[in-house]
Amino acid sequence: MITIENVNIHLGEFDLREINLSIEKNEFFILMGPTGAGKTVLLEAIAGLIRVDSGHIVVDGRDVTGLPPEKRGVSIVYQDYSLFPHLTVRDNITYGLHFHRTPKAEAAKRFDRLVEDLDLSHLLHRLPANLSGGENQRIALARALIVDPKVLLLDEPLSALDPGFREDLRKGLKRLHETTDATFLMVTHDFSEALSLADRAAVMDGGKIKQVGGMKEIFQRPESTFVADFVGMKNLFTASFHDTKAAINGLEIELGKSPENGHGYIAIRPEDVVLSRRELHSSMRNSFKGTVTEVTDQGLYYEVSIAIEAVTFKSLITKSSLFDLEIGEGSHIYLSFKATAIHTF
Amino acid sequence: MVKKEPFFWITVSCGLIILAFILIPLIEMLTAPSLSMLKETIQDKDVVRSIRLSIYTAGLAALIAFIFGTPLAYLLARTNFRGKHLIESIIDLPIVIPHPVVGIAILSVAGRGHWLGQIFNELGIRIMGSVTGIVVVLTFVGLPFYINAVKNGFESIPPRLENVSRSLGASMFSTFARITFPLAWRSMLIGIIMCSARAISEFGAVVIVAYHPMIAPVLLYERFEGYGLKYSQPVAVWLVSVCLALFLILRILTLRNAKNA
Amino acid sequence: MKNNRIKLVISLFCAAIILLPASLVLAEPSGKLVMFHAGSLSVPFAAMEKVFEAKYPKVDLQREASGSQKAARKVSDLKKPCDIMASADYKVIDKLLIPQYAALNIRFATNQLVLCYTDKSRYAGEVNAGNWYEILQRKGVVWGHSDPNLDPCGYRSLMVMQLAEKHYKIPGLYDKMLANRPIENVRPKSVELISLLQTGNMDYAWEYLSVAVQHKLNYIVLPDEMNLGNYKYDNFYAQAVVKVSGKKPGTYMEMKGKSCTYGVTLISDAPNKEAAVAFLEYMLDPEGGLKILKEMGQPPFIPCRVSSEAMKAKLPSELQKLVTVKN
Repeated sequence: MITIENVNIHLGEFDLREINLSIEKNEFFILMGPTGAGKTVLLEAIAGLIRVDSGHIVVDGRDVTGLPPEKRGVSIVYQDYSLFPHLTVRDNITYGLHFHRTPKAEAAKRFDRLVEDLDLSHLLHRLPANLSGGENQRIALARALIVDPKVLLLDEPLSALDPGFREDLRKGLKRLHETTDATFLMVTHDFSEALSLADRAAVMDGGKIKQVGGMKEIFQRPESTFVADFVGMKNLFTASFHDTKAAINGLEIELGKSPENGHGYIAIRPEDVVLSRRELHSSMRNSFKGTVTEVTDQGLYYEVSIAIEAVTFKSLITKSSLFDLEIGEGSHIYLSFKATAIHTF
Repeated sequence: MVKKEPFFWITVSCGLIILAFILIPLIEMLTAPSLSMLKETIQDKDVVRSIRLSIYTAGLAALIAFIFGTPLAYLLARTNFRGKHLIESIIDLPIVIPHPVVGIAILSVAGRGHWLGQIFNELGIRIMGSVTGIVVVLTFVGLPFYINAVKNGFESIPPRLENVSRSLGASMFSTFARITFPLAWRSMLIGIIMCSARAISEFGAVVIVAYHPMIAPVLLYERFEGYGLKYSQPVAVWLVSVCLALFLILRILTLRNAKNA
Repeated sequence: MKNNRIKLVISLFCAAIILLPASLVLAEPSGKLVMFHAGSLSVPFAAMEKVFEAKYPKVDLQREASGSQKAARKVSDLKKPCDIMASADYKVIDKLLIPQYAALNIRFATNQLVLCYTDKSRYAGEVNAGNWYEILQRKGVVWGHSDPNLDPCGYRSLMVMQLAEKHYKIPGLYDKMLANRPIENVRPKSVELISLLQTGNMDYAWEYLSVAVQHKLNYIVLPDEMNLGNYKYDNFYAQAVVKVSGKKPGTYMEMKGKSCTYGVTLISDAPNKEAAVAFLEYMLDPEGGLKILKEMGQPPFIPCRVSSEAMKAKLPSELQKLVTVKN
């Protein structure tokens, strides 16, 4: 549905270089990356609000690179929703219909369906000023979808909401995506959001695309240290490989298989690092004794840093586990992880 | 009761001093002429004609500023380009140039000694001593006030609103008409008021370009120079009253709409 | 006797010693000297100011140029403080300042009216002393004069045109010319017309010969019967009459045509009489101010004139030797 070919954009501080991306019809595609990566710039370029300096953007088979925004069939929902303050909710939603020759019956049908799906009927006569973040988001979605766009661009739609609401609205977005034909392209810096919503995703940094693929792939098989770090693979080490073994800073790790040529890193998710008071005799091939150097409260979990000789591992455990294991700084502890939990690249 | 500290009293005193500074001369001027003199003055055809001319030319200047200044203000609010600061400085030039200099400059261009003046001549346009010339001067001095006010208005409208509008299918014109203008019209009105206020009070530049036809400030000056305070104060009172009335009406209109919005 | 005479001499000697320093202290003029004068005197007075202030460095001469009636009104109506008033028409001093605000009226120079234009003016190549009145009537020609109510040059311009009608014996010529001069072409001060000529906003303007020379304009010299420059034709000039505003708005007074005679007066309650007299002493000196006037194309009276013995007697002693009585 969307093909981005060799797009370069020079925008003062932001530079997008050699962007190549392909998004399928009706996909829920997510663009991830830290702030300043250029995600919003790319989004606005697809919408036609920013000019590309070279390359092509193709939407539904049509080269839209030279077209103004109103001719692209691409709707955009911003992080602050940007509702028109001088129009009622109803007028906000129906705004786009003025510019499309939609037959009245069809328009009314779409309107009724979106209002029902997004639970907006009690708000139609209101002005956007005093509504909640969640209500604003739903109105913005209705406004964007009523014109039946080919592509719906979402710029961090959940970031402005309280965490409590985010969960509900995330589900709402997913439901919405399933009921429409539109291809969703969403930007977020929150990896867990991406995990729950995306079919496929791309990770961006410094104006370049670092990795594209299915969520599972990115999550489990990052192709660079940046992506690994971004997806939360906290145990990231340079390694030298020999047969099926890896050496990190003197520590030997059993991989269970030979890594590919050219790989130089290993990464292990902290959730996969198992802690125990005594040495575990299990099928896990790697087991070490170490000392706890730090325990940090991550809210729902604790992150424990363990030093084994010159290497520090991080493990994620629940609060109850923390008490059970009687872990504190300086405690001696055993950690183990499966060979299959080790990712090399 | 909470004791008010010195800082509070200092600010209040400064405020009172400033209010007195502004109001005392104005009150003196407004109350100096007798009612019979005021009546006599407003029945003077020359006085009425000059006040009407002042309002008409200032209004025309504001209209021209509105038509030509709005697109420029929009451009300055929305884009960034090399030389933008230079352009903004140029737009502000009429504010810093002394008024008689403005008049002399316009007069020099308008005569047959200048190529532009010759073109005007061919077209039958007369600047010196004409309503056209007065409007040219007033527009010159009033433009920066309009453009700056409207530019601020546009800047306060988030560009994202316009972006969304365009993504929904609206052209630049439709977006301007449906989104930008309804949100910015109040600042346009303020710009028009500021421009008109500046224009109606202009004297030094106009008197050089056109002594006749006489706008009210020129008539005021002529009466003062020719006959003294006694005969010029009533004219001043009428001029100020008309101006205040006009601006009060506009103010009320804007506030009322602000409440409804 | 001898003792008494010696006492007298000694007293006189002491008095002289006491008075001498006092007189030295009083001798040097200083402070602000305010002068309201006609616009057409601006250039010569600027030159005189330089010489005078060099001679008396402690004096600051502050001049305000305007139409002569306006200058007089500043004293009479606005009660603005003033030391010296110089008019392009001495009659203005008689009518508006004497006797309430001034007692003197010294006539010091003459002038005549000419029709000025530049190379840019329409029909500049064609105009001459024989066809000027026809060109002024042509459509598209922009010509003007100063306001008769504020500036003698204004009513004098009108008088010249009235006299032209009589001299050329063309009835209705005056009205026909004025029909081609809308009110927009009238300015408070005649020198304003100069900048209009120079920028090409005006084609022809009535001005004094001295001003035309000082500003290097082209000009048409008219016959003495019309140009108000020759006192021998005063009787002919008297045929021209122009109504101008009087002492109060709504009132009028009549100005009769007379040869251009400039007058200067010392205001009765001048704040700085000493400096004023010193200036007049310089200005009315044939080697001083009068010489400058002559060099600038404005023929002075040498010596200057007052109208009666009584007036001469009222003059400060320093000035008495510089004037004669002539009516």
